[in-house]
Amino acid sequence: MAELAHGHGDGPAHHQVTGIDNRKLGMWVFLSSEFLFFGALINNYLLFKGRDFGPGALYPVELYDIPFTSISSFVLLMSSLTMVLAHSALARNDQEQTRTWLFATALLGIVFVSGQFFEFGEFILHGLKLNVNPAASAFYMLTGFHGVHVIIGVLMLMVLAFKSLRTGSLSETEGMNVELVGLYWHFVDIIWIVIFVLVYLIQ
Amino acid sequence: MADRAHHHPQPRQYVNIAIVLAVLTAAEVALFYLEDGVDAIGQAVTVPALLILSALKFYLVVAMFMHLRFEKPLLSRFFTTGAVLAGGLYLITLAALGAVVLF
Repeated sequence: MAELAHGHGDGPAHHQVTGIDNRKLGMWVFLSSEFLFFGALINNYLLFKGRDFGPGALYPVELYDIPFTSISSFVLLMSSLTMVLAHSALARNDQEQTRTWLFATALLGIVFVSGQFFEFGEFILHGLKLNVNPAASAFYMLTGFHGVHVIIGVLMLMVLAFKSLRTGSLSETEGMNVELVGLYWHFVDIIWIVIFVLVYLIQ
Repeated sequence: MADRAHHHPQPRQYVNIAIVLAVLTAAEVALFYLEDGVDAIGQAVTVPALLILSALKFYLVVAMFMHLRFEKPLLSRFFTTGAVLAGGLYLITLAALGAVVLF
């Protein structure tokens, strides 16, 4: 399993001339392309955040709750720790710990997304709706799409964790899936690291 | 690769890395409040400092948690190429539209 978790135990069917498991290679290529996706959204926000939309216009920056977002960021950062601990436990073939850390990661992801829903709710209550101005739209598009990525990650983690709970242990293929979901999860985290600084902290 | 995989950090090392990440995040938040209270000259220091701290956190997660440091160089090339090209493209776009000044 230790070999499997690092992409070497799934048989020759998944290997290519690169010597890297095709699924893993595919995930890394996908994540590289995601830079363009989030880059465009971050770019869009940066272009509009300093523009003047007339007297009385409301901007996201006026409503940021930095202590709250800092805690959310910390939660997502710690979910990367629990994810890597799940991967590490799987490499040691410790199925119970793998399951525990997978559930913990999903839980932290849910806490983060709940925080985002709360933040959006607060903003909307203050009148910052999606269509009030381009800066607001850009903010919701960026953080919203990131939130969607977190939700997708949580769903994948739950599938793996419940499968492990039902069958008692993860199969070899599912072992690789833990690694792939882990890569995706860490990527979502690094995107937030960038968003947290560029959108929230540098005003 | 098996040798490289063997060198993956142990759980305790992962926890240590997470502690470093938490400290860096705390430093970022502290800089934010500092940035709020300083003049333009002060901000010329705090803003790059925030970017450096963020880049450090980014590197730690990618290298240690995503194990890119222990993987084959091909994966690093894919990832770095994607990140650099996207970053460069958007930086040029922002400069062209006047949102940032490059030179």
